[in-house]
Amino acid sequence: MTMLRIGVRNLWRSKLRLVLVAALIGAPFFLLLVMQSIGDAVQRQTETLKQNVNNTLQMRARGSMGHVNMVGNQDILPQDVLAKVNGVEHVARVEPYLLAMTPTEGHNFAMVVGVDPKDTRRLESHGEAGNPRILFGRDLAAEDRGKPIAIVGQGVAKWAGIKPGDIGRATITLDLKRTHPVIFALDRPPVTLTVVGIYASGYVFGDMQLFVPLDAFRQAYAVPEGISWLYVRADSAENLLAVERQLRVMLGDAADIISPATVAEFQTTATAAVQRLAAGGIGLSAALMVVVVFFVMLLVVRERAWEIGTLKALGASDPGIVAGFLTEAILLCAIGALTAAVLFGIWGGPLAQLVFGLGVSPFLPSHYSALANSLSLAPRFGAATLAILVGACLFAALAGSAWGIRQIVRLSPMEAIRHE
Amino acid sequence: MNKSRSGDRNALIVLRGVSKIYRRGDQIVRALDGIDLSISERGMVALVGPSGSGKSSLLHLVGAMDRSTSGEVFVAGRLLNTLPEAGLTAFRRDTVGFVFQSFNLIPNLSALENVMLPMEFAGVAADERRRRAQDLLKQVDLSTRLTHRPRELSGGEQQRVAIARALANNPRLVLADEPTGNLDSKTGQLIYELLKQIGTMRTVLVVTHAESFAAMADRVLHIKDGKLVPEGNISAMNDVAARDVKEALQTKG
Repeated sequence: MTMLRIGVRNLWRSKLRLVLVAALIGAPFFLLLVMQSIGDAVQRQTETLKQNVNNTLQMRARGSMGHVNMVGNQDILPQDVLAKVNGVEHVARVEPYLLAMTPTEGHNFAMVVGVDPKDTRRLESHGEAGNPRILFGRDLAAEDRGKPIAIVGQGVAKWAGIKPGDIGRATITLDLKRTHPVIFALDRPPVTLTVVGIYASGYVFGDMQLFVPLDAFRQAYAVPEGISWLYVRADSAENLLAVERQLRVMLGDAADIISPATVAEFQTTATAAVQRLAAGGIGLSAALMVVVVFFVMLLVVRERAWEIGTLKALGASDPGIVAGFLTEAILLCAIGALTAAVLFGIWGGPLAQLVFGLGVSPFLPSHYSALANSLSLAPRFGAATLAILVGACLFAALAGSAWGIRQIVRLSPMEAIRHE
Repeated sequence: MNKSRSGDRNALIVLRGVSKIYRRGDQIVRALDGIDLSISERGMVALVGPSGSGKSSLLHLVGAMDRSTSGEVFVAGRLLNTLPEAGLTAFRRDTVGFVFQSFNLIPNLSALENVMLPMEFAGVAADERRRRAQDLLKQVDLSTRLTHRPRELSGGEQQRVAIARALANNPRLVLADEPTGNLDSKTGQLIYELLKQIGTMRTVLVVTHAESFAAMADRVLHIKDGKLVPEGNISAMNDVAARDVKEALQTKG
């Protein structure tokens, strides 16, 4: 305790030096906080993107649209693909679909989509306008499996003359023998489906589709096995590429895999680059702190060598003297860190923006240059910032003092008193 | 004390064949060369010799501030050569009090805190060490300067604080290395009188250049070229020492 108290009191021996050292240690701390805030902001941005981004792959039989009655595009994926894909690492969800076309008057045709009621209602070309919203009646439910029912787009409802008040009673009949230049006839009886809901999709082609339970579709079109489209969602955007690679290796030429490339690109370029730069900046700041502490503590040892020798002569133990020395070093770093934190609270946001704009943006792909303006780089003080400050304080104090401590321990009391 | 090894029941300090060799680059400096010495409990002993004769080296070995290259150093029954670092630290803390030429007071502690410091290292309770420190400073006539920092005290006052600090843990041995080297002769005289008084209760070993101060000691040891001069040859040695002191004073100007 004595030596700790002496270590604390030693801080105040020269106020001018304390201010100078606090500034010298505070500067790299400030840089560290700026780099950490940039790294954090990019991480937050990435997390937001990950939540909103499409990390789902679409698979179809090679070179085929996968519609069971479409001329030249009727190839579908074998049923065992489902089990194989389910076994791939980082696959979070697999959704199989079956598709067919049915000719209509007034329009060329409507799309029939077989879907498991628990899965997403995916319209063909759904990326253009999002998924359907039920306008009248209800959506498909788990208990609808195997039932000859459908929810239809508002375009189909209009074509079939189904009004909202008819829902639950109205039916729609699919004539599988009818043909069209791109639709071939199936030697199957007509299928009558009860309409339980009408949806809107926001675009004409989307409204000309109808969803039926997958097993009802299989029964109607006599497709006991096989899959038109398989949607595969990875457990995170980072793993999307890995999942795609595994699927390509596993399925070879049997399937086309359509991947949302932009996710992977952002993940592997922008985020990773910024994180590396931020980590580099933090490392550089920490190294600068260590260098400053090293020279300050070396100066302290040289200046007070006789004092250290005297303390040894009076009976102070080496661990005690080292503890006092370390206390002084840690407090110096803490004062520097506190100074940096205050300055960061005042000027951190604009400076982080400036550093990001000048020092980070140039390393990103050109189409991410606008990121500098959109990132929220306002200073944030949370548990992570506190942990970084405390960790950096301890690291800089210990690493920077190591040489000085070695000198203290190595010298006999007499050598220390005579040390110059 | 281990009589069979140190060989003298009444001696506080026994040195047998002690040598101390320093290396300075390629050069080997033999600071002490086969010293045999016995100093009894209580009394003031002056160690006199010219510059570089080895007197400070001898003092440091006795005070466990340094280790001998060869030979045996017994102090207060302890063979210092074999003690580990922690043992030497405890020995210095409990058995020895140091008085330095440059006072070596800790600058950012008050006179009272400087005197309390060795007691803190020894684990003396706060109230007790404050009381003892106040008593000691009173004994050296500094009871009105308790809260003063070293820079606020004169040289003589600083040295008296240092003497009070040396006595803090009631050591059996007080070692003083040129204690008046930075003081005027009048103040130096007062310091020696104080040390002489302390020597009535314990052993005081003083390194000095000044024969006049050495004359106040109960025993004077002369050292030259790392060897103790036999007591029969002291008269001749005194002439040499006197000349050295004179030269040193002239050099100081």
